[in-house]
Amino acid sequence: MDITEKLTDVFREVFDDQTITLYDEMTADDVDAWDSLSHINLIIAVEIAFGIEFKQSEIQNFADVGELKQSIESKLADKNK
Amino acid sequence: MLVNSIAYESLTKHCENGNCDKEILHWIQNDLTEVRYSYRFFESESNKIAHILENLGIQTGDVASVFLPRSPILISSFFGILKLQSMSCILFSTLGEDALLDRLGNSQAKIVITKNSLVRKILAIKDKLPNLKAVLIVDKDDHTSDFVMSLIKLMENADTNFEYPYQVNAEMPAFLQYTSGSTGKPKGALHVHSAIIDIIQSFKEIMGLVPDDLYWCTADPAWITGLSYGIIAPFSTMATSIQFSGTYNAEHWLKILKDKQVTIWYTAPTALRMMRQEEESTFDQIRSNNLKRMYSVGEPLNPEIYHWGKEIFGTEVYDNWWQSETGSIMISNRPGLEVKPGSMGKPRNGIEPFILGNEMQPLPIGSHGHLTLRKGWNSMFRTYYHKEDAYQEKFHGEYYITGDLAYKDEDGYFWYVSRSDDVINTAGHLVGPFEVESALLEIEEIGDVAVIGVDDPLLHKKIIAFIVLQNNLTWDKALELKCRIYISNKVSTVATPSEFIVSERIPKNQSGKILRRVLRAVYEGKDPGDVSTME
Repeated sequence: MDITEKLTDVFREVFDDQTITLYDEMTADDVDAWDSLSHINLIIAVEIAFGIEFKQSEIQNFADVGELKQSIESKLADKNK
Repeated sequence: MLVNSIAYESLTKHCENGNCDKEILHWIQNDLTEVRYSYRFFESESNKIAHILENLGIQTGDVASVFLPRSPILISSFFGILKLQSMSCILFSTLGEDALLDRLGNSQAKIVITKNSLVRKILAIKDKLPNLKAVLIVDKDDHTSDFVMSLIKLMENADTNFEYPYQVNAEMPAFLQYTSGSTGKPKGALHVHSAIIDIIQSFKEIMGLVPDDLYWCTADPAWITGLSYGIIAPFSTMATSIQFSGTYNAEHWLKILKDKQVTIWYTAPTALRMMRQEEESTFDQIRSNNLKRMYSVGEPLNPEIYHWGKEIFGTEVYDNWWQSETGSIMISNRPGLEVKPGSMGKPRNGIEPFILGNEMQPLPIGSHGHLTLRKGWNSMFRTYYHKEDAYQEKFHGEYYITGDLAYKDEDGYFWYVSRSDDVINTAGHLVGPFEVESALLEIEEIGDVAVIGVDDPLLHKKIIAFIVLQNNLTWDKALELKCRIYISNKVSTVATPSEFIVSERIPKNQSGKILRRVLRAVYEGKDPGDVSTME
């Protein structure tokens, strides 16, 4: 399962919506109930799903799904070094 | 007594007076592009919706619910429902299934207007909603069934004219506004058409807009502020206003304030506190702006944030106080009245607040007590829908007991102290601990739970859940996530606890009532005081 597929599963679980299809430019404005509070749920879910951890300063800094994916890829690469 | 109906006063009257093409609303979309809407647009769209609802059998006094994020169609739906003399009930689009069921069940809503991505929440509970006749989808081209229909398709051939009585009985029900209590399910505060008298009067008295002003109320219309002062007040007084589709984003908000040249801004202390966390350079763009005044509501505006806002935006910040039940601003800072930072201000014309003791006796200046209001103003709620007993409990003789504790100083200013009950005011939203506890108890790993609110520098109060796990279970990140997602999706994101604390047991008195003050003391590392009643 690649990152997008796995991340899609995470989004669908967090926002309880099986119809969510991710695209890089997707932002909180494009997903019902994605607000600053549910964003914390999303981050915890991503951390568990990918076995990574975000720093506090990183959490609110993703402009869109594309940036979140890049950050996950980068952390996974560091982890596998 | 007859009054102009809210729909007439807000829309039709302006069309009759030759202002139908006035661009009353500047809609800022997520990408910050702008679309302008005239009275004609809303008059025509709401007429179509009134016809559609009538054809579906909706009658005077029925409830039609609008479960949508802020959007022009939400506004058209609200006015369409009112034109039919039905009751509107706008619900936050972030509500989860349990919260929806509580509200749609209590209101016995016959129609829900929603969007395609939200309809699954209604379908999941529709078997428990025997009164629900149909769900209308605003962004789907075709009908799915006789139950799930496309509003777009229905509107294609709907008549743009709709005859309705411009004047109605002052006591005719207009809209329901759900609010949480410390016990039991959420309650629907019922407001009547004469509420518009107070909404207009308070808007003029406190906001004092002039024709060239551009007004922006950032509140969601599912919140009473967003309805009374985001829609009804500006539409009825011909005040050109802005609405933004997007959620909170400091950069976007500042850009809108600056580029659109907003002059009067009505927002919330939490939003200002969130903004304050941004880097200093973020505000370079706003140092020069067109703002004349700022207003805030929802929870107390700390003096620190007041001074920060005044310095950054270069204008006065007027905090005010009111509730879903009061329908319009009751106590307010405003132009012409010296601001005492941290104060709620003074009552507006015609409103009589009193500070009373536990026996409902008047208290002297400076004493903390129950903030009460002499009943009888037009926008006062008329009942909690289908919960008249709970409504009666909110009154002592001629006084409405607000549930807030406050004091009055020697100059007549009122100062908020705290809630007198267990309701949690988090980021301006009232959350009942019972709702959160009930949902958490549905999770199989949770044996017992108690929810409290504690002070938070950003949210005013944050929600803390003390939980007792079922035997032999351990708390981990995955279980925390499960709890968080469950609350967010079943109740609401705003009801999601900030922290979960695993406990061996929940302190309760001998009749089983949770001793929340003990939990608060434990959390804050204070002495819990008298625990003799603890079981």
